[in-house]
Amino acid sequence: MATLVVIDDHPIWRDALSRDLTEAGHEVLACVGDARGALTAIGQMRPEVAILDLQLPDRSGVAVLRELGEDTATEVLVLSASGESDDVLEAVKAGARGYLVKSAGTAELLEAVERVAAGDAVFTPGLAGLVLGEYRRLATAGADERRPSLSERETEVLRLVATGLTYKEIAARLYLSHRTVQNHVQRTLSKLQLHNRAQLVRYAIEHGIDEDA
Amino acid sequence: MGIETQLRRAITVFRFVSLGYPVVMCAVLYEHLAQPLVAPALVAGMAVWTAAASGSYVKHGFLRSIMYTDLAVTAGAVVASTWALALTDRSVPISVGPWLAGAVLIWAVAGGRRRGVIAGAVVAAFGMAFRGGPTEHTFSEAILLILTGLMVGHFTRLGVEAEQRLREAAARSAANRERERLARDIHDSVLQVLALVQRRGNAIGGEAAELGRLAGEQEAALRSLISSDSYRHPFDGQRDVRELLGRLAGDAVTVAAPAAPVRLPSRTAGQLAAAVTSALDNVRDHCPDGTRAWLLLEDQSDEVAVTVRDNGTGIEPGRLTEAAADGRLGVAQSIEGRIRELGGKTIITSTPDQGTEVEMRVPRPRRKAGSNGDARRDR
Repeated sequence: MATLVVIDDHPIWRDALSRDLTEAGHEVLACVGDARGALTAIGQMRPEVAILDLQLPDRSGVAVLRELGEDTATEVLVLSASGESDDVLEAVKAGARGYLVKSAGTAELLEAVERVAAGDAVFTPGLAGLVLGEYRRLATAGADERRPSLSERETEVLRLVATGLTYKEIAARLYLSHRTVQNHVQRTLSKLQLHNRAQLVRYAIEHGIDEDA
Repeated sequence: MGIETQLRRAITVFRFVSLGYPVVMCAVLYEHLAQPLVAPALVAGMAVWTAAASGSYVKHGFLRSIMYTDLAVTAGAVVASTWALALTDRSVPISVGPWLAGAVLIWAVAGGRRRGVIAGAVVAAFGMAFRGGPTEHTFSEAILLILTGLMVGHFTRLGVEAEQRLREAAARSAANRERERLARDIHDSVLQVLALVQRRGNAIGGEAAELGRLAGEQEAALRSLISSDSYRHPFDGQRDVRELLGRLAGDAVTVAAPAAPVRLPSRTAGQLAAAVTSALDNVRDHCPDGTRAWLLLEDQSDEVAVTVRDNGTGIEPGRLTEAAADGRLGVAQSIEGRIRELGGKTIITSTPDQGTEVEMRVPRPRRKAGSNGDARRDR
């Protein structure tokens, strides 16, 4: 069972979520309502998983993810009512391990928390569509030889995730192991995150922003 | 500040500056003036009128009565100048100079091309009648005055129209900002509550689950409404396919799409969406209740692909061709026909008991040069 921090600015929603998680045997260390609180709570309590809403009153959830960077041991699961696909994509590129819409069922949520806690990516079909689209955009965006691309197998797996197949069904269809499917999905995400970080660093260097600043 | 106000100010400045011409001329030729006492009085009168008229235009706008008086005073000054500014050693008196154009400019700005030309013609006619007939000098003066009325009237109209459009655009953009603010508010409050109702309803079960389902449907509908991009894009004959497919999302239908707009010409996008809709109808009509469907939209720069997959009973091999051969056109016509018409192709894969996958690929028409940079990312 995982230790958690829940970040959402809606008290009723936060409480309902926290109750469900506690009932399922997880330990909710803290519930906070803004980005500042989130960074403090994650920094001090070091939860295994943070459940993060993208729309916070002070700063966006994406900003929280960027601030956390790669040093944190906390895995972030984005749980958002946001239909704004840009935000979701940015959140995932900034390091979120998975994404669920708030209307997802309790069982789905609990499963996602467990998988994220284990370090696995949680992909909804919607997220798979966004990631596919992002790779396509990168492929047509110009000649940057450092840009990441998908292998044929990865594209195939992502397309199946996007059309609603479970990892188990994908594994059966492609004669792969469940773990291999998992790894393929994982890799599509980590390549994007790596590229995103590299770009941020390059941007920072080009604009003379010191790492410590 | 409106364009009319700015023009009015510029004209006021011009009218005062242009008074310098008779002043300087009178000073230089003072010794030759036939009426050395009347001449300064006329120039002073012109200055007084200029101040009075300008003041009225600033305070009350372009009053019809002042405009007529303005024109009359200008014509009067032309007539008076033949006597008041006469010179002892020349046959032609000093003219009142460019000051004449002041009233013409006012008429052009206030009344447009036609009135500008009329005012110009009136002033020119007085000049011609009282200052020695159609000489080369009065003739070119007439042309310049009429041209001034025409051009200034024309450009004022253009300017006012542009200003109007700018104002409308600003109002539209303000309305969009307001809508975005509303969307944020709805997002922060209503959507959260609906999602919560759905969640708790499902957990409690029974009738509450039904309420939860309804809340969930409304949440999805409202979310697609407020995240709709349509109002952010001017109509340019192109549509974002994401927006059309987004409307099909619901309890049983999940939509996956890129983050950037997937734009196709309106008609193509509409046909594609119609084909997708019939594929979904097909799922609803032929599959057991509770069957789910997934839409995947992909933008591959030279073509746009939509995949519809369901987890229903699947179609037995040969059923589709049989149906088409029987004259029951269903799938063949409504999906394949539409896609073929767009120059695309449809691939249907189905295994009994494992659902059906319909993949539709539509070529993107070559875009005209200049219209392709419409930033696939800029939203």
